Amino acid sequence: MTAESTHREMSLLSRLLSGLVIGLGLIFTFPCTVCAHNVFIYAWVDGDTVYTESYFGAKRKVQGGLIRVFDLPGKELLEGRTNKKGEFSFKIPQKTDLRIVVEAGMGHRNEFILKAEDISDVGAVAEPLKTGGTKAESTHSISADAEQIKAVVEQALDSRLRPLRQELAAIRKEKSPGVTEIIGGIGYIFGIMGLIMYFMSRKTGG
Amino acid sequence: MHISEGILSAPVLISGAVLAAAGTAVGLKKLDYERIPQVAVLSAAFFIVSLVHVPIGPSNVHLILNGLIGLLLGWVAFPAILVGLLLQAILFQFGGFTSLGVNISVMSFPAVLCFYAFRRGVRNEKAGLSMLSSFMCGFCSVLLGGILVALALTFTGKSFINAAKVIVIAHLPVMIIEGLIVAGCVKFLKKVKPEILEVIYDG
Repeated sequence: MTAESTHREMSLLSRLLSGLVIGLGLIFTFPCTVCAHNVFIYAWVDGDTVYTESYFGAKRKVQGGLIRVFDLPGKELLEGRTNKKGEFSFKIPQKTDLRIVVEAGMGHRNEFILKAEDISDVGAVAEPLKTGGTKAESTHSISADAEQIKAVVEQALDSRLRPLRQELAAIRKEKSPGVTEIIGGIGYIFGIMGLIMYFMSRKTGG
Repeated sequence: MHISEGILSAPVLISGAVLAAAGTAVGLKKLDYERIPQVAVLSAAFFIVSLVHVPIGPSNVHLILNGLIGLLLGWVAFPAILVGLLLQAILFQFGGFTSLGVNISVMSFPAVLCFYAFRRGVRNEKAGLSMLSSFMCGFCSVLLGGILVALALTFTGKSFINAAKVIVIAHLPVMIIEGLIVAGCVKFLKKVKPEILEVIYDG
């Protein structure tokens, strides 16, 4: 008798706990997934060109997907289609934040915001170099040298950073679901089953 | 066939959500206590099977199983698909929260429709007719789902015929595979565990 009642209390407790876990899980996962879907786009700047890559999950590229570029207020600046490798590139239309949207058909859509500071750091590098010239009479030649130095540094940086960018793009691609998500999802489903059974059993049994 | 966020207009999203809520209400009313574990298993199957990509054709398609869920659950397909889609949106980032209602409606109405259209054929004594009806149930659920997605996209300014053509052609392999899956499941269940199929004998 007592054993049965403690067993009941235990199962009630465990069900309440599982409900709590599910609820908390829902609350915590909600904000980070609102903006994410199963088509992805990634963009980076190289020189005066913006490169974009669009893909479904880890392997499949978006071929012939529509890419549209907006400024943040929502004015469309340009559009184009991805090639077979899911890539699309364009000259920087203006040095503001850019919203790059991919539409991959059948209701697949995602966007990437390219920040203005990622675009305009080209101009920012030149300033300290120019003021670095202390002697007034040689300012002109130093600024010319600075231009050259800037170009060389940028080139070197670009080639050095390229693997890093590709690495970053690869990391982003690994967002496709893994074992944790799959097992977690199944767990949730059986948790929900338990909850519904609990409430229905109370209704019919009590 | 998950419609992402930011594509559909508010009226389409709202009507999708209302229809999904109505369907889910009917489904929950028809849900018996004894069948809850079965619903959960099918919901889990729906949840996972979206990861099975069909590598045929140029676009990104995966198995859906709404035909099987419809045939085994009837109206209860709504809550089963709701749970599956919700978790796919949370964990896999498939679809989205605002488009959840539309996605539920798009997957579940064909399931229920095919349930009523084909259950008589499926429970037929003749094995051939039963197999054919099962196949058609799986096939048509995906086909109708594709047509509904195209219909939803039409309101965004896309031409219905074009959208429908693209989606239906992309899902042709999926339709055939799911037809075979449903036929296989029905054959197996009739032999091994016929009580699971009892829902098709009600009424």
